[in-house]
Amino acid sequence: MIETQHLGRVFDGTVAVEDVSFSIKDGEAFAFLGPNGAGKTTTVRMLCCLIGATTGTGFIDGLDIREKSNHIKIRSMIGLLPENPGMYESLSAHRNLDFYARLYGVPESEREARISEMLKRLGIYERRNDAVGKFSKGMKQKIAIARALMHEPSYIFLDEPTAALDPEAALTVRNFLMELKKEGRTIFLNTHNLDEAQRVCDRIGVLKTRLLATGTPDELSSRFFGKSTVVGLKETNPDYLLALRQLPGVLDAKIGDKCILISVADPASQNPSIISTLVAKGAQIEYVQEVKHGLEDIYLKLMGDSK
Amino acid sequence: MRFEKSWIIVRKEFSEFRKNKYILYSLFLMPILMAVVLPTVYLVPISTFATPPANHPLDLGISIVQELQGSNLSNGTAENIRFFNTNLDNMIVYKCEFFNCSIVNSVVRDSNLTSSTITNSVVEHSNLRFSATTDSSTPGSLFLGSQSESEKYLVLIIDSLLMFFVLIPAIIPTVIASYSFVGEKLNKSLEPLLATPTSDTELLMGKTLAIFIPSVLVTWISLLPAVIIVDLVTYPILGYYILPNMIWIIGVFFVAPLFCILSVLVNVIISARVSDVRTSQQIGSIVVLPAIAFFIVALAGIVVLNEVYMLLFGTAILAIDLVVFYVALRVFQREEILVKWK
Repeated sequence: MIETQHLGRVFDGTVAVEDVSFSIKDGEAFAFLGPNGAGKTTTVRMLCCLIGATTGTGFIDGLDIREKSNHIKIRSMIGLLPENPGMYESLSAHRNLDFYARLYGVPESEREARISEMLKRLGIYERRNDAVGKFSKGMKQKIAIARALMHEPSYIFLDEPTAALDPEAALTVRNFLMELKKEGRTIFLNTHNLDEAQRVCDRIGVLKTRLLATGTPDELSSRFFGKSTVVGLKETNPDYLLALRQLPGVLDAKIGDKCILISVADPASQNPSIISTLVAKGAQIEYVQEVKHGLEDIYLKLMGDSK
Repeated sequence: MRFEKSWIIVRKEFSEFRKNKYILYSLFLMPILMAVVLPTVYLVPISTFATPPANHPLDLGISIVQELQGSNLSNGTAENIRFFNTNLDNMIVYKCEFFNCSIVNSVVRDSNLTSSTITNSVVEHSNLRFSATTDSSTPGSLFLGSQSESEKYLVLIIDSLLMFFVLIPAIIPTVIASYSFVGEKLNKSLEPLLATPTSDTELLMGKTLAIFIPSVLVTWISLLPAVIIVDLVTYPILGYYILPNMIWIIGVFFVAPLFCILSVLVNVIISARVSDVRTSQQIGSIVVLPAIAFFIVALAGIVVLNEVYMLLFGTAILAIDLVVFYVALRVFQREEILVKWK
């Protein structure tokens, strides 16, 4: 489990991260969303024991990140993909991975097989002996991911893994993340890419120095926008609103462009009575749809509220 | 500290050095310049215009049949004997060798005398090396240990060439370290490295050793051609092979490695503040200044370039190394590297 308790970091009087508390269960994929400078990278660096916390603490598999004696053990359990791949460009892909496999203490008997397997999995085995400097950004990113996974870590931290990649390379990386998720690894993903977060991760955290919200996309949508049903009508009538507002479980109703937007506590249970009420009032219904707010709406609302 | 972790880093660094032409240039060209070109340029003109030697040791054809140590001999004769720490009084000696002996009221002929004192005697047709005479005559003999003013000057120049052997392991690390530290910073490869289960000390040790080993090895290897060149060029003038001597041995095997360590550590500190390889090399070069200053002081005659001063100089560098190592350790910490290295 990854956990933080009131985690905070100040750089020369500037607050980068403040009072951040969350927990991620083993096997869960969690995305941190936030604008540039929100403190996402700082949080990851603190959790990876690369920099210290000014306030609060964090735990990786129960090990306190404040305890220096835990640092090497924590770092051996995690795989980090930083924002920049940071490969040794004059060395081959194989040599890069071999170096990190040795540093992570991968046994000699398994090292070669693991490197080959990883390179094959990412589709770069044929170019294993080429200098990394000759590779495209996407290929470098793949090798960087392989590097983070050489020691088969339980916890994987990925900082903007698809930033600056073309759509095809981004898709390959995203698919690989999905595979890792299926393998049951705990994934912590920093990203700007809302679609990526929604596809890959179970839960989302929105950070802007402080943690503004955490939850599944559906939870966040309900929390910030409530639940609503939109009913498309041939013609609208103000009488419909009066009838709908009297129904139990209906919080509000508004007339839109040839539709009525109805805020409800539970669309699944309320929709039948809404439809029968409208039909009884003579409404001609064209469609009924539950309104779902996307991650973008949630993100923009949270960012707007935090200003 | 786990040395095997540091050694993994050393091996990776070596792999990178082999692919970097600037590092390879510095490893090959610097020693050639310092150990071959400069000694030749300095010494060949001197040997060319020097007076032809008149002081080759006399070929005396001595054939030793006996050795004597620490005895007192008087009123007799001796032939083909090697004496150590012996006092001879009123003796006639022929074709013998003396080391640290005292010769009084005697006649010596066709012999080699080293570090001995001769009093009230005649020493004829013999080689005297580092030996002193009192009230004695030395017809046909050569005083090899004593030096003329020009020879003293030549020896000083030769000893000052030692400066290049202190500079080689000080300059090469400025080149290698700039690529090793600043290069890694520019390449943004430090963060994944810092995320590995290694300690700050293991990382610093690995990086330092990777620079130290080739720099010092190249220095030591280049000593051989330098010694050969110096001896070949100066033997006709001096009449003996001046290198290797103790000053050079201390300089190359004690002072030079310490200077190398200083250079590496100074470059670690510089790397934290600069983000350009060239700037790092330029600022890093200041590390050679103490060595140059020391040898200028020696050439100016303010201190005598001898074993004691070389040892003192080395000890001073060792003390500086320890202080700089402490500073480098503080600079080379994950938090510092990620937050403050620009």
